[in-house]
Amino acid sequence: MSKESADKKVGLDRSFGGLVRTDLQSGIPVETFYSPRDVAHLEYEQDSGDPGEYPYTRGIYPRMYRDRLWIKSFIVSYATAEETNQAFKDNIASGQTGLRCLADLPTQSGIDPDHPSAWNAMMCGGVSTYALSVYERMLEGLPLEDVDYELAHSSISSALMFYGMFPALMENQGLDIARLRGANINDPFRARLVYNTPEWPNEINRRICLDLVEFSARHTPKWKAIAPNGVDPQQTGANVIEELAGCLGVATAVYGELIEKRGVSLDDIGATVFSLDAESDFFETIAKFRAARRMWARIAKEKLGARTPRAMSLRIGIRTSGMSLTTQKPLNNAARVTLQILSCVLGGVNSLDASSIDEAIGLPSLEARTFNLDAQHIVTHEANVPMVADPLGGSYYLEWLTDHIEKGVNDYLAEIEAHGGMWNCLESGWLRKNIEASRMKAQLEKRDRKRIIVGVNAFEGEGGLINNAISDTAYKVPTEEDRRRNVCALQELKQRREPRKVKDTLTELFRAVKEGRNVVRPTIEAVKAYATIGEVVGVVRLGYGLNYDPFDAVDRPAFLDELR
Amino acid sequence: MERNSDRKIRIIMAKVGVDIHERGALTLMQVFKDEGMEVIYTGRYATPEQVAKATVEEGADLVALSDSTGSMLIIAKQVIEALKKYDMDHIPIVAGGLIPKESLAELEALGVTGNFGPGTPFDTIVDHVRSVVSK
Repeated sequence: MSKESADKKVGLDRSFGGLVRTDLQSGIPVETFYSPRDVAHLEYEQDSGDPGEYPYTRGIYPRMYRDRLWIKSFIVSYATAEETNQAFKDNIASGQTGLRCLADLPTQSGIDPDHPSAWNAMMCGGVSTYALSVYERMLEGLPLEDVDYELAHSSISSALMFYGMFPALMENQGLDIARLRGANINDPFRARLVYNTPEWPNEINRRICLDLVEFSARHTPKWKAIAPNGVDPQQTGANVIEELAGCLGVATAVYGELIEKRGVSLDDIGATVFSLDAESDFFETIAKFRAARRMWARIAKEKLGARTPRAMSLRIGIRTSGMSLTTQKPLNNAARVTLQILSCVLGGVNSLDASSIDEAIGLPSLEARTFNLDAQHIVTHEANVPMVADPLGGSYYLEWLTDHIEKGVNDYLAEIEAHGGMWNCLESGWLRKNIEASRMKAQLEKRDRKRIIVGVNAFEGEGGLINNAISDTAYKVPTEEDRRRNVCALQELKQRREPRKVKDTLTELFRAVKEGRNVVRPTIEAVKAYATIGEVVGVVRLGYGLNYDPFDAVDRPAFLDELR
Repeated sequence: MERNSDRKIRIIMAKVGVDIHERGALTLMQVFKDEGMEVIYTGRYATPEQVAKATVEEGADLVALSDSTGSMLIIAKQVIEALKKYDMDHIPIVAGGLIPKESLAELEALGVTGNFGPGTPFDTIVDHVRSVVSK
């Protein structure tokens, strides 16, 4: 053999690619196997129960997916209302069964497209839904009654404004708002902890969140006006314990205040919805869903006075992890998302927003969306996974892990109480500090290759034609010309609407804010008059004696001068 | 500009506009600090003028722009315009986040370097910062 060919000889290492850790993604150490000894302290009736029975560990319906498959719901929100409308229609044809709406980042921060800070994120990450005129185009031809809408917006101001769009649209068309179905996140903790948008301080968020939950309980009973959110805290860095404790803490804090101050009981509300994350760690994710249902049932019954089974049941809405997706070799994201879908179905979730393989690069292309709908159809019809409820129930490992997560979450909730409760922990920065520590721990594990991300810190290799095609076909951000057209459309709307109606409805909103009345009906009327997000946000601020503009960069419009 | 080699590298970490994605910026701030650099964060929602002003007032050696909306090119142009008003457009700018492939050539032409995507090893970024500042 020549020296040259000896140098080219391939070495083969039997241990290459072996395990690099013995704990789960959230740092839960696990044994090599589990046996009846590890679950001997658990009682079937008390800790599991059959599906549809308290404490709902195994699912909230007796027949689970045989009667109702999870809702296949994902955010559809592109740069323009027209593209978004078309995408909704195309996705419905491929099997989407729930409609999730979002807005671009300026809108979610409470400012209009003509605000000086809006330009560089305008129409990025979603439609610039500054007023009802945009919703009319975005949802044109789509049903409003008896279908599931979900609003995923970051801020409480967006929750108020975009909830308001639905009664406004429905009443304008002579439809019955009691037949509005769906949920919005409206989580004042996530709004501060994750997004920290500047438009409203906690004091306003806390009040408006309750206004919305109260109004919805009375007028749109099939709408869940709060869905405590663990997805975004986890995407920010929280581990599974912090995620679940956060959701339970939020629900307890908000519903506790609702019961005490607004006279609405949990039995009036019915089922609670949590918006949870599906991460790549397979068993940890499944166990989290089971623990979430069991813990909520116990809290609702024991702490919040729920008496009806519905009020003790937790519906789980999912957004699969965007953080787990990579720009490197994006084809690998197909494997990640498929496993996350499987963990959701094995965990008995009720609504599923599966990310697309190109979402690390841009908003999803239609083909990528069709793929993740098809993946769910394959799980259903070819793999036959959903036929039997909680198929992993009784597994020594999974039952131990479900119990272990419940204990960890209870310990964390006790720590939150010891630090003064949820609101204090939010305001003191304690919650944030913990999430940041968890995020840094994860980052360092990645750096040290103790948390392997295939294609990023191990098994890098080169992508080829298929991977490049995925990158190339992801949705692109709007041009500056597109943005100019959007600002023009806003200006035209302001010319076209009836100034008297805008002024009167915003004045009534201002008074409701000042007088401590529920602001939701006045908001709906302002929305009908084509008031903009910036105006609604600004008028609420004025009602609290703040400057009109959260950025202090623009003056209040002259027609609102009298609001003092 | 000559730098005293004993002085710590001072970085303005900036997010301009209403991008909410902050994880990358926060993580890198910690990484830079661990490497003995000083980082001044504008916070989210900064205006280009605020970035330029902070650069002057803090005597920064480098501006690091972070954005995950896909609009880095627009942001970089705005920041460079603002820096010109203070005669500070010689200051190196590095960028990171979700930067569209289509923007890379124009960003480099504007002198915006690095243009790191998610998953870039910390060492690569730190080495780049050191080499850009020492030029």
